[in-house]
Amino acid sequence: MYFSLDGERVEGRAGDTLAAALVRLGVSTITRSIKYHRPRGAFCLAGTCGQCLVRVDGVPSVMACQTALHEGLTCERQNGPLGVDTDVFRAADFVFGKGLDHHHLMVQSKLLGRVALEVARRLAGLGELPDKTRGAVPAEERTAALAIVGAGPAGLAAAQAAIDAGVKDVLLIERDPHAGGAIGQGLVKDDRELGSRTVAALGERLITNAELVGMYRDDDPKLPARLLVRRHDRLLFISAQRVLLAHGGASQPLPVPGNDRPGVYAARGLLGLAKRCDVRVQRGGEVAKVVVIGTGDELAQGAKALEGAGYPLVRAIDAAQVIELHGDPVDEVIVKSASGAQERLRCGAVAIALPLAPLHEPASNLGAHTKFLPASDAFALQADADGRTTVPWIFAAGTLVGAGGVEAAESGAKAGAAAARECTERAS
Amino acid sequence: MSEKLIVCACEDVTAHELDKAIAQGFTDIESIKRYTGLGTGPCQGKSCVSGAIRCLRAREALPVGELDHFRTRPPLQPTALRQLAGLPLEMLPLPMAETAQRGQREIPESVRQRLLRPVRSAVSHAPLDRKRNPLPEKTDVVIIGGGIMGLALAWHLAGNGVKVLVLERGYLCAGASGRNGGGVRAQWTTPTLIELAKESIEFMSGFAQTLGINVWFRKGGYLFLAHDEPTLKRMEESAALQKRHGLPTRIIGPGEARDIVPELDSSRFIAASWNPDDGVVFPWPFVWGYADGAQKRGAQVETFTRVTGLDVSEGRIRGVRTDVGTVKADRVVLAAGAWSPEIAKFANVSLPNVPYRHEIVSSEPLKPFLGPLVSMLGTGLYFSQSMRGEIVGGMGDPDEPPGLNQESSARFLARYARALTEIMPRVGEVKLLRQWAGCYDVTPDHSPILGETPGVAGLLQMSGFVGHGFMMAPAVGRRMAEWMGGAKDEMFERYSLSRFAEGRLEPETFIIG
Repeated sequence: MYFSLDGERVEGRAGDTLAAALVRLGVSTITRSIKYHRPRGAFCLAGTCGQCLVRVDGVPSVMACQTALHEGLTCERQNGPLGVDTDVFRAADFVFGKGLDHHHLMVQSKLLGRVALEVARRLAGLGELPDKTRGAVPAEERTAALAIVGAGPAGLAAAQAAIDAGVKDVLLIERDPHAGGAIGQGLVKDDRELGSRTVAALGERLITNAELVGMYRDDDPKLPARLLVRRHDRLLFISAQRVLLAHGGASQPLPVPGNDRPGVYAARGLLGLAKRCDVRVQRGGEVAKVVVIGTGDELAQGAKALEGAGYPLVRAIDAAQVIELHGDPVDEVIVKSASGAQERLRCGAVAIALPLAPLHEPASNLGAHTKFLPASDAFALQADADGRTTVPWIFAAGTLVGAGGVEAAESGAKAGAAAARECTERAS
Repeated sequence: MSEKLIVCACEDVTAHELDKAIAQGFTDIESIKRYTGLGTGPCQGKSCVSGAIRCLRAREALPVGELDHFRTRPPLQPTALRQLAGLPLEMLPLPMAETAQRGQREIPESVRQRLLRPVRSAVSHAPLDRKRNPLPEKTDVVIIGGGIMGLALAWHLAGNGVKVLVLERGYLCAGASGRNGGGVRAQWTTPTLIELAKESIEFMSGFAQTLGINVWFRKGGYLFLAHDEPTLKRMEESAALQKRHGLPTRIIGPGEARDIVPELDSSRFIAASWNPDDGVVFPWPFVWGYADGAQKRGAQVETFTRVTGLDVSEGRIRGVRTDVGTVKADRVVLAAGAWSPEIAKFANVSLPNVPYRHEIVSSEPLKPFLGPLVSMLGTGLYFSQSMRGEIVGGMGDPDEPPGLNQESSARFLARYARALTEIMPRVGEVKLLRQWAGCYDVTPDHSPILGETPGVAGLLQMSGFVGHGFMMAPAVGRRMAEWMGGAKDEMFERYSLSRFAEGRLEPETFIIG
């Protein structure tokens, strides 16, 4: 299959995402950053970070990692007026070495202010207007007793528990083309049997390629939940009695200088790429040697899983030891050893394995309490043992409530059963 | 040269920039978000909150118990206008009046308190340990409301040597002053508002030099579109009035409007009113600039401080009670926008203002293509392109029930997406990033309430600006400070609270949003 990259015809593979195809081609710089025009590559590879935005088929700022490759697709890299690989505006990165204080830039005189305004306006923005004018697409409507978001270990277990409790009208919404989430990435205890049994039981009630883009509340006390779900080119508008959120968390960047360099990926992103598209980052014609950086269990499991996925490991190191990342794409990690000496680790890529930050936003926006997780500097939803959040109709399970990994399935099963008890449409 | 530590990759926010925000005194995450731009890009904060929290912890900027995430509203992922335009409107009812009045229906009081102050009781269950400045025992003037009105007044009063205390219940920018689209125009239909707007716009173009912070005032013009003859007639009358006040407003045809904005569908309107001198500012620094300026002149500005009562005796205001203590003052200015009626009740004063929710949404950042702020007078749709490249716009809902409701709705997204893609079909594939809501403070005649309160001497009104106080604050603040210093000004008679009892209304009709 062929597609085009900045006007050049290149080869891709059916089944790849656009991000996977770019990795296959050895493209590490996917865009230029918005202010400093720093070279940027994909990071999370899971639709949460916004670092892989490209123009696809004339539509600006599309996530490459969430775009399925098709024959003849046109991909143009953005924000590099004379080409993303040699962007002249990169000068901004050096002129403003530490950062730009736009609030106090050129406030001395009106004239300078006007110059700053004109320059800033021209440099702002990311994509150009879409090429084509396309009209509204009517949304599809559905109702459900229980809508579950995320078909990872927690969501699948929740769906199974709800089915077992007799709720017929369950919908399971999954962003990816297949159910499973982190199952099969070598990170959690695999329970493929449970997954496939639930998938079979759900049949058409499992909706894949469907991503939650909004959750709202309605005044109808019997049917309070309104979900906006994007499926391919249209929205699905779901009304439900209860919602169970099990859509996990987002990979977090490493807080050290150079953390945004191309070639720095989320460990889970690389694992997903290997599982879904069977593609690995290459350097010099071989699979890239990776330095895995993270904390705690996520680091240990991530490093092991990456090795299992075929990545040669340079070293797995604790995030606190890392001083800086160098290279474009990244080729060196500066670490300090226990004795205080600095060491330079050469590598072909860096994988970040920090704990996921729970995606509490749809619930916390509606008033659900969150709790601070000091170990990961993130916030999870507060929930009781049954996954009930502080908003009566919102349940949550898995990573979202701080019960990811090996605890996810059990957390999902409990929440699924509890939510099922509150649904009115149940088989007697 | 040291390498950058990028905390927010979407908006290229560095750790150093975060440090600067902390050094400026912004330690709550909502303010840090606004000051640095952190979390306002395409990923909507999914990848930066942890990094920001780590920076705050490393610098011990806040006690652990007060660490918080900011509020992230829908859309959760960038979503195309053409998809939202296809939502079934009949399935998206307005909130019931009761819900709107209660605002955040399912948010328990404990969480309300948390939203008010960035306190994370869930971690420690510890009592509030936010560092609080003591309030003075007595001051000359207490201003209730740290929005643009109160802060502009504080800056002027403090410049005249008056001792001022400003009380704000949330963070700066938490109310309507931080929730508007930044539109600034002189195209009004009453002479007083035209003059107030003209002076304010002049002040804004020198704001950076006067107050030391950029508000990025960009004169892209205002383009009002008329869809029918009656609207056009109204427009022509206003344009004539504006001309008499020295404004360059012109009525133009659809063809000329398309020269200004080529993406408009000219079959959707019959004429336009065009003033090239109107423009758009970035709202947040406008608020911070006045707050900072007022403090440099000696005013005290206290955020996260809630007014709990007003002391009135013998027909005079005596002081203000708050959740951190009582302040004596002979003069108290009520500048709390949509919250003003609630506070006036403490003095047994009934204000006719009614709060109405207005929603706004911002698109993905695009390279500059749209010069002016465009508004359809018939539907209340308005939109402009911000200095960051986003299309920022809103649209009022004629059936919206009153209430201090700042929740977001899918209904708004659907109505806005339909209206915007109709008038500018080219943006169908453009994605929306984040929506929010604020409250208009609406008076019966759409004109403000200024000056003395009958029956409570010393309680001064400064509210009722119906969504446009933001763009008039510089002039209103100056004139109010001078009037409080003893200068005569007919505006404080014209817009007095007593006009409603006397049946002397001052109708303004060019209200949008």
